[in-house]
Amino acid sequence: MVHALNEIHRVLVNRGSLIDLRPVLDRWPIEVTSNSGNHEVGRVTDLPEPVVDDGAADQAMAEAEQHGWFVRERQDVFPFFYYWDTPKEMREYIDKSWDDVIRIEDELWSHLGTSWATANADARVRIRLKMMITGLRKQNPS
Amino acid sequence: MTVQTDPERTESKYIKRYADFTGKRVLEIGCGDGRLTWQYAKSAGWVTGIDLHRDDLRVATIDRPADLEHKVVFTRADSIHLPFAKESFDIAILAWSF
Repeated sequence: MVHALNEIHRVLVNRGSLIDLRPVLDRWPIEVTSNSGNHEVGRVTDLPEPVVDDGAADQAMAEAEQHGWFVRERQDVFPFFYYWDTPKEMREYIDKSWDDVIRIEDELWSHLGTSWATANADARVRIRLKMMITGLRKQNPS
Repeated sequence: MTVQTDPERTESKYIKRYADFTGKRVLEIGCGDGRLTWQYAKSAGWVTGIDLHRDDLRVATIDRPADLEHKVVFTRADSIHLPFAKESFDIAILAWSF
């Protein structure tokens, strides 16, 4: 990723902006949500490899700053929700798209199913991702 | 299988706080199907989205609104060999690169 940051430094104008926007694994909460409120039923299990990837991305960004390519100006974290109408749809999505990122234990699937089935008729299920956004400014190394 | 992402539009609010896209040349790395692109492209001057996944790029191109056809392009490229001249962009976005 350091090579990519070097390339981004090359194609940006002087004082150009780099925005790093990415989800950060943090045992994202699973919730049942309806008009009557939100109820956390548990948390996903982070798989080891993507956790290492998160650390590598942080390290690459730190190296880019050490090289003097960019200076960090601000950083925030914010929630980003994925919604499904049913736990079944959520499971199909996770099995297809996130099977190398997170895992949900069988016991939690069971608990989620029960919580959703006994909630209001309008209840949906959601996962609250932790998003990190970092703003950096290109500078030329002295 | 239907999924709805960020109906609160929190991501859009944050990204607009981090840069003024008005008239700017923007490079989005990891543009995927263009979901993030559509949130800022209207005000940008020119947008280039790159990704390695051909299927996502195809979706992005198909979904591209008619009023953005003249200023939003998608192409397959790797971030470690960006096929662009130096100092071509005002803003770069590393999008969901995990």
